Amino acid sequence: MSRLATDGEIAALNLDSACRQAWARFGRAPRPQGLAETIVDMERLKLQFFGDTAALDRLETLARVDGSPLVQAAAASAAHRFDEARRHLARAPHEAAKHQLLSIDQACGTDLDAVLTARRRLAGAGGRLEDLVPLGAVLADLERFAEAATVYREAHNAYSGTSPFPLAWVCFQLGQLWGELMPEPDLDQAAQWYRSAVAYLPFFPKARVHLAEIYLGQGQASEAEALLLPVLSSRDPEVRWRLGDVLLAQGRLEEAKAQLEVARLGFEELLERHLLAFADHAAEFYAGSGNDPRRALALARTNAANRPTRRAMGQAHALEAAA
Amino acid sequence: MSDHVDGPRSIGDPPADVTDLFAFTSPEDPRRTVLAMCVFPSAGETAVFSNAIEHAIAVRRVRVAGVGNAAKFQPAEEELRFSFVFQVLERDAAGKVLQRGTCALPDGRKIALVMNDERGAATPEGDVRVFAGLRSDPFYLAWIAATLTRVPNLLQHDNVLSLVVEFDTERMLNPTAGSLFGAIAETVPFGPPGRVSHPAARIDWVGKPEQTNIRLSNPGLTGADDLRDLWNQQNPFAIAGTLKPLFLQRLKDSFAEWDMRDGKADWTPEALAANANVFLDDFLLFDVAKPITDTSHLEIEKSTISGAPYLTGGGRTIDANVIDILLTWLINRDREFLLGGATGATKPGMKVFPYLATPNTQLQVVSESVELAASPDAVWDVIGRFNLDWHPLVAHVSLIGAGIGQLRRITTRDGGQIVERLEEIDDAKRHHRYAMVAGMPATHYAGTVDVQPKGSGSVAAWSVAYLADDQPDVIVHGRIAALLKTGMANLKNRFGAVT
Repeated sequence: MSRLATDGEIAALNLDSACRQAWARFGRAPRPQGLAETIVDMERLKLQFFGDTAALDRLETLARVDGSPLVQAAAASAAHRFDEARRHLARAPHEAAKHQLLSIDQACGTDLDAVLTARRRLAGAGGRLEDLVPLGAVLADLERFAEAATVYREAHNAYSGTSPFPLAWVCFQLGQLWGELMPEPDLDQAAQWYRSAVAYLPFFPKARVHLAEIYLGQGQASEAEALLLPVLSSRDPEVRWRLGDVLLAQGRLEEAKAQLEVARLGFEELLERHLLAFADHAAEFYAGSGNDPRRALALARTNAANRPTRRAMGQAHALEAAA
Repeated sequence: MSDHVDGPRSIGDPPADVTDLFAFTSPEDPRRTVLAMCVFPSAGETAVFSNAIEHAIAVRRVRVAGVGNAAKFQPAEEELRFSFVFQVLERDAAGKVLQRGTCALPDGRKIALVMNDERGAATPEGDVRVFAGLRSDPFYLAWIAATLTRVPNLLQHDNVLSLVVEFDTERMLNPTAGSLFGAIAETVPFGPPGRVSHPAARIDWVGKPEQTNIRLSNPGLTGADDLRDLWNQQNPFAIAGTLKPLFLQRLKDSFAEWDMRDGKADWTPEALAANANVFLDDFLLFDVAKPITDTSHLEIEKSTISGAPYLTGGGRTIDANVIDILLTWLINRDREFLLGGATGATKPGMKVFPYLATPNTQLQVVSESVELAASPDAVWDVIGRFNLDWHPLVAHVSLIGAGIGQLRRITTRDGGQIVERLEEIDDAKRHHRYAMVAGMPATHYAGTVDVQPKGSGSVAAWSVAYLADDQPDVIVHGRIAALLKTGMANLKNRFGAVT
């Protein structure tokens, strides 16, 4: 299942190193063409793979200083401010804006059949992992799960580079597909893919959190705890939330309470700065261990209004029904 | 840029991105030859090599197989390969990251090395020594290629990861059998286990500088397909026959466009085609029997295309101005030297091993000054006080201790806390220096405040040098600049500015 890639610790160190250097260059004149876009890519990697939520703040700064519509749109999209992103893209040449627009349509569940057609065309032209994974994701959004699984595997096999980021990404997508999206989840298969993602990138909080959830569901609380402890330094509050759940299951109530309080504070801090980016996850938190159903419903409604995907609508409806 | 960030496949694992290749006579010993390659454009101070990639420099003997419009350099089949591989990270007793690697030599010997060990490592016989580590980027580009506008060096202060191998020329290359060589540098992923018969496709390779970013991907050719990834996947010394016409046509189109950048046609179609043919064979030519200097880069190719015997060893030294040499050749065929907006890289090469200059640290400086309609002593009475009680952004300061070493704990109006230590004070010279202890996302943070007489008034200057830490420089810079600007504006209000 795993392919030879640069060690995850080396890749993380080099991403951080390159990102710092790019920011240093960004502050100097003359500014090389495309530098802001490179920083956007790197900051998104830090957000996605290391739970570095401060990346969103840095992207805001970047967008403000750079001022180009494409960079402003990318920063807005990263924070799920999709309407704002569309407004920025309306000022950019269509050819340059179309890829971002496609991603926004997909994230918002807008005209998914048209998104699928466009994704198929892109994937067919290059057969590259970076085109195949979004195709798999839209197939999953359309509940064509078997096709999605095939496309993800194809993406994994198609990759010819050495960066562990794309490989961890596709493994995570497969984990989510088998563990959460399929009508009949296969948790063993999901766990296997999450483990692969963690093998590529040991400090990948999201993959560890999802794997810990599976372990916890299978009664392996100690394994789940061991999985979460190395990523406690992540700024992603989901780590503390899941650790709280694990501690609850072990009957360590005071410790659990402390972790859940840290998670709550973490979510609130993020919601204050980037409401739309964290509304869905925070809604899930408050609907569960966060124990605030009204807050959960309000956040789920905010999320569904912002991106009316099947998943977001389902979450809002379920919370309304439970209220 | 030379070959910096030259294709989508190399982005995402920056140590795979080959930026430059050098071949020159050792400045320390003319009997030795140095080959060096750089990877990882804009590497930060913590950059390390990938453990999944072979970094290699390959050398083949070359003969001149044609001159003038039939100019041709034919490489031999036999290849000498210097191959570097690296391990996963280790930590020393102090917890510092350590990376070990190995350089395999063409004769099968191996040299173990430690990244960033300035002394490098050598064979027991001493005939070969190698280095791997972070260095100042020796490449400089001071043009906007699309518009041919002169600008300062676009890679100023940048670092790269570099690999250097120096060897006894006689023993390694046997120049009596022919002293002209071609070299390439490449990055190749290790093949998947159990698939030894199917070597993995290389990620990137470089021969002469700028094959990809200037010659194949000329920004003046609007709408042309990006051929860089396709080129990077070719076998050096053996471009696929089926793709040669595609690349050759692109080089011809590109060279024709470059030729007309100054509005004058300096190339006949025949000479231009010959030039394209020579550059299609993309290896760095060097002749170990002739002098390799800072200006000899491309001389072998240029003389041969012009129908004359070459006089130098060509190659490429650390300080060679390769962009200006190339652009001059392409645009006006050496009619008039085109000098870009910089005359050197951030730091020149060193005359001692490992020859590439030490890495740059990104010490940034923010400075503000203001001319005031008040005597220096009156101004110093205010800003010479270490308690900052005159600064409008400061809500509260508590002082701990006195004299040198005194600490000030500043609470800013936005609730932030900064702790700084007085390092030096000279009331007679109206100067003090301090260092930040905590509260700013920076290291090496040092500030100075000075007041000097000017005319009937004075000049107050406040300067802070720092290295951003944990936050992008642009954010740290913004915070410091706001502090300094607001302070200086306040002084202007208080004392009146000199108009």
